[in-house]
Amino acid sequence: MAIHLNLLHEEIQEQRQRQRDPLKLGMMALGGIGAIMLLYYLWNAYQTLEIKSHLTMVQRNWAKEEPKVTAAQKRSQELTGIINTTKILDGMIEGRFYWAPLLEKIARCVAPNTQLTALEGAVLDENKGIGLTIEGVATGREPRAAAEDLRQLLMEQLAASYHDVKVEFKTLEDLDTLANLGGANMPMARYTLTVSFNPNGTSTSASPAPARGARK
Amino acid sequence: MTTPKFTKDQIQKIALSTIGFIALLYVYSSFFLGPLNKSRTTMTATIQSLEAKLGSSKSELTKAAKLEQQAGSATSRYAALKTLSPEGAPIAWFPPRMKSLFANQQIEKANARLETSAPYKQPELSGWTKYTWNIEIPEADFAMLGKAVAQLENSEPLLAIVKLSIHEIPNSPEFQQINMSATTAIIKR
Repeated sequence: MAIHLNLLHEEIQEQRQRQRDPLKLGMMALGGIGAIMLLYYLWNAYQTLEIKSHLTMVQRNWAKEEPKVTAAQKRSQELTGIINTTKILDGMIEGRFYWAPLLEKIARCVAPNTQLTALEGAVLDENKGIGLTIEGVATGREPRAAAEDLRQLLMEQLAASYHDVKVEFKTLEDLDTLANLGGANMPMARYTLTVSFNPNGTSTSASPAPARGARK
Repeated sequence: MTTPKFTKDQIQKIALSTIGFIALLYVYSSFFLGPLNKSRTTMTATIQSLEAKLGSSKSELTKAAKLEQQAGSATSRYAALKTLSPEGAPIAWFPPRMKSLFANQQIEKANARLETSAPYKQPELSGWTKYTWNIEIPEADFAMLGKAVAQLENSEPLLAIVKLSIHEIPNSPEFQQINMSATTAIIKR
């Protein structure tokens, strides 16, 4: 068997050593990883550019829509304000008390033998009702009965239109003076009536005042 | 199996390569991929918010159109109520208006005096002011007064009489002296 002598042993070892040089291998690995990273970065950059173009499109659409939307929102706000204000004003209009029909009713109740001298009326706080004070004189054979007739008639007339009607005498006193009624002298009585009622629940509307006025 | 033995030089090179790799990773993530991802996230969020706005804008426009239709009667009613308040200070036009209203009902003497003016408590009426007037009629027949009050209540929907006082005039029993307190809602000009 022939003997083989490897005369290039050292060179081959050096070459092998160069091939397994960790720095070289590391640089190659780094280069490979770097290339992968670059590709990944480029892919991401491409996606980002796509997103950016989508964003530009959306922004353009929004720029077109925004003035319309702002105007619509402003108009909606304005309309809502108008609706709410009108609702409240309508509530005030519908909730107010009409005095003309009341004056008509009072005038209807005044008989020839009674006379009103003063009427004070006010809407109670927070529209809780109406309060009236009626002063007057009554005459006849029974002036107190005439005053009572007026009270009952008032009660009846007001109850037809309003709620919780109360008509009460605050004072009722005989007077010394006599009144001439139909040519005859009759005794007189002075009265003060307090009236209270709640107008809510029954709709009242202003109507022309009575043809016949209250005697005063 | 033999494990590769590294020389000192080789170990140094491996360490250097590792440091280089870490530096590369840091630079890559901090200066390249990080900002890119950040801008992408920001843009995506902006797109989402804009698309949501665009989506809601359609419903907003539809809502406004519907509201416009529904508010037709309210707007015309509001315009009508606004016309009840002419231009200028109310104290300049309200008393003459009352005077002419009562004069049309054969009540020649009627004086309206401003008592108070105050804003409304309701926020919806922030554009309106509540005026309280004292209307004095020194002499009127009861029947005429009734007609005049009816006319006043019908022609002035925003006016509400809150107090009414009728007294006989001692020497003229056919006439009465009237005093009333009325409130009106008047738009701020």
